[in-house]
Amino acid sequence: MSVEKLKPYFPWITLTMLVLLVGAFNPSFLNPASLVQLVADIVPLFIMALGMTFAIYIGGIDLSMQQVANLVTVVATVYLVQYGIFVAVLCIGAGFAIGAISGWITTRQFVPSFVATLAMGFIALSGARFLSGERALSMNAEARDASFGWMFGNTAGVPHELAIAGLLLAVAWFLQTRTTFGRALKAVGAGELAAVASGLKVDRIKILAFALSGTFAAIAGLMFSVKLSGGDANLANGFLILAIVAVLVGGTPLTGGVGGVINTLVGTLIVVVIRSAMVYLDVDATKQQMIFGIILIVAIAMTIDRSKMRIVK
Amino acid sequence: MYQLNKVDKKFPGVHALKAVDFKIGRGEIVGLIGENGAGKSTLMKVIYGAYQPDGGTVTVDGKTVRFQNPRQAMDHGIGMVFQEQSLITNLTVMENIFLGFERQFVRFGVINWTAMAEAARHQLRKVKLDIDPSTVTSKLSFAQRQLVELAKVLTLEERIDGDLVILLDEPTSVLAKEEVELLFSLVRELTSRASFIFVSHRMDEVMELSDRIYVMKDGEVVDVVAHDAANIDAIQHKMVGREVDKQYYREQKQRPYDGSKALVRFDRVGVAGKFNDISFDLHPGEVLCLVGTEGSGREAILRTIFGLEKPGTGTVEIKGRPFERTNAQEAVARGVGYVPRERKVEGIVNGMNVYENMTLSQMGNYASKGVLRIGEEKALAEEWIKRLSIKTPDVYKDCGGLSGGNQQKVVLAKWRSGGSDIFLLDHPTRGLDIGAKEDVYDMIREMCDDGAGIVLVADTLEEAIGLSHTILVLKDGKFQKRFAGPPGDKPSLYDLVHHMI
Repeated sequence: MSVEKLKPYFPWITLTMLVLLVGAFNPSFLNPASLVQLVADIVPLFIMALGMTFAIYIGGIDLSMQQVANLVTVVATVYLVQYGIFVAVLCIGAGFAIGAISGWITTRQFVPSFVATLAMGFIALSGARFLSGERALSMNAEARDASFGWMFGNTAGVPHELAIAGLLLAVAWFLQTRTTFGRALKAVGAGELAAVASGLKVDRIKILAFALSGTFAAIAGLMFSVKLSGGDANLANGFLILAIVAVLVGGTPLTGGVGGVINTLVGTLIVVVIRSAMVYLDVDATKQQMIFGIILIVAIAMTIDRSKMRIVK
Repeated sequence: MYQLNKVDKKFPGVHALKAVDFKIGRGEIVGLIGENGAGKSTLMKVIYGAYQPDGGTVTVDGKTVRFQNPRQAMDHGIGMVFQEQSLITNLTVMENIFLGFERQFVRFGVINWTAMAEAARHQLRKVKLDIDPSTVTSKLSFAQRQLVELAKVLTLEERIDGDLVILLDEPTSVLAKEEVELLFSLVRELTSRASFIFVSHRMDEVMELSDRIYVMKDGEVVDVVAHDAANIDAIQHKMVGREVDKQYYREQKQRPYDGSKALVRFDRVGVAGKFNDISFDLHPGEVLCLVGTEGSGREAILRTIFGLEKPGTGTVEIKGRPFERTNAQEAVARGVGYVPRERKVEGIVNGMNVYENMTLSQMGNYASKGVLRIGEEKALAEEWIKRLSIKTPDVYKDCGGLSGGNQQKVVLAKWRSGGSDIFLLDHPTRGLDIGAKEDVYDMIREMCDDGAGIVLVADTLEEAIGLSHTILVLKDGKFQKRFAGPPGDKPSLYDLVHHMI
């Protein structure tokens, strides 16, 4: 078998090898209960990475996700008592709108998505700071349990967070593989010019992709906020790079068109294993970001489709 | 002095050069002809160092060399005058001439412009071009730019010892007749300074200029003929590997079109900067060919019918109605199918499989409430694979991995299966081998029989003449002349060229 043919399996191979390696150093890592807990803990990250997948799948990127999640933690905390469970609608609506605006700026104003989303991210951050008064807010515990208590807990040994993640993955997978929208996303990612020449509404598809990444960022932010029972303009910091790493090591290249949400599941698991390995190996917290930075560069360099990029600026 | 021995080059799925022998002597002009896809450009790229051969050797003056990049080839005296002009249009003529070699004019870290201008003037004199070297390149005509390119390559003369070999890739394609004459006499004079490899698909020009002619077909050199022994018919025969006859373009299958209805109606249509005052009707069963040089407005007219360009003046009607909103979605909905020239970029989606490509323009027909009925998509693909004999192992094959001809069939199947009856074909046979071309010609006749109208921008003039019912000749965005081309009474090449340039 050639290297090219094996390439799609690299993420799976990497994941298996990492799990075995860490398990060999520390057998308690392979204990099923601790594994489940480990995975349940990173559900908000996984959801953010799922959203990121849509942006990267079409060949763009969404750098606003972390700030959207930050904004949502504040919105959820501030308005929870007032709206109860319907604060979720507000949060998700905000995420969708911010994503859609980024998409509109990208497609209609021809601003590259990394700049458009970066700028929208600052706007969201500013909103979060304003709304929170630059303080760390905590949720009203009663209202939290009444509206969102169901998010956490166990049914038959399965943490509810995992069930939510599984459901969102299923929805994202269905969208990607079974719908005209998902097919159009693939066409835009793999060959945008051909998609235009086939009469697809490419602008609308791209705007929707960014709206989806914003939506998933909002869901991640909401879960995170409920989980930590509070909101803060910096609460989700550090998620962005992990989400990007998860998508890329999963095998969805920055150039788009291949990979997808299942790859992101694998990628997220790889990130988790690496992160827990660093804990076992006593890697200093200050150095962990550096390691993820390096992994990100390696992952991009390995996955990118250079035939699609004539010029890199 | 410069020689290729049994040079081989393979790409995935294509054996582009098969044991090619090639040599050129001092002061010689060697012609290189062949159809598109015969391997001319690959051979050229090997010669000027852009590709490295997989087998065989390259020798200069008997010494084996291996060029890793064009710069190394230049150091051995091999220069290239590009077909797509390689000058950077926002730089001045002299900056272009010495691009990458400015060091010789640098004193104390800054460029001595006076010295560079003087040196540039010296180069321009070689090509008899009397212009100010500080002119910005975009202000020059195409013919002048071509000469600047030649002057740029001729700087090799001062830079290296030894002989020069200069490749001219389709240098006449954008030139007017007198300009071609000037270029040819210049090249003949310059043989005192360099040898030339002249690549063109214009047989008459190659025959006029070259001392010897290499004829290529399917990656092989099928013949080498001396200037005096050259015979157009014999060469054409070798190039195509068969008689170029009427059957080739399926003239016997050409039926009269239905003139009572108009699928597309252009009434004094203009798009600023592209074309103006163009009127024509496209009828069911008609092949209407737009003929002109690059930039004559052919492609812009296709793009206008497809809703990608908005007409500034006049009216465009598709099946009796103008566009409500000018965009490709509406064109597709009205039954317009577009087969773009850049097949691999705009035609198929590289990375999507056969059935995904075929339904791309008509996903709505294979989905309920946005959910795809993938089984039906596959059935459709199976049917068209059979109908057009598309060579693919199965419907899951990535279209990027199919051969050019089969990719084109997928693109055509996409539109035909979606019920399109207005086809815009932009160079539909570019880069296809002969068999695949004939398949495309067959399909064009078949589509006409089904009552479709076709607007064609052909790859060659012969193709345009052979296939079309109607030919519109364009020049600089203006209509020149209309020819009718019923079977057996086709206009000649000369008739067309006369109005093109």
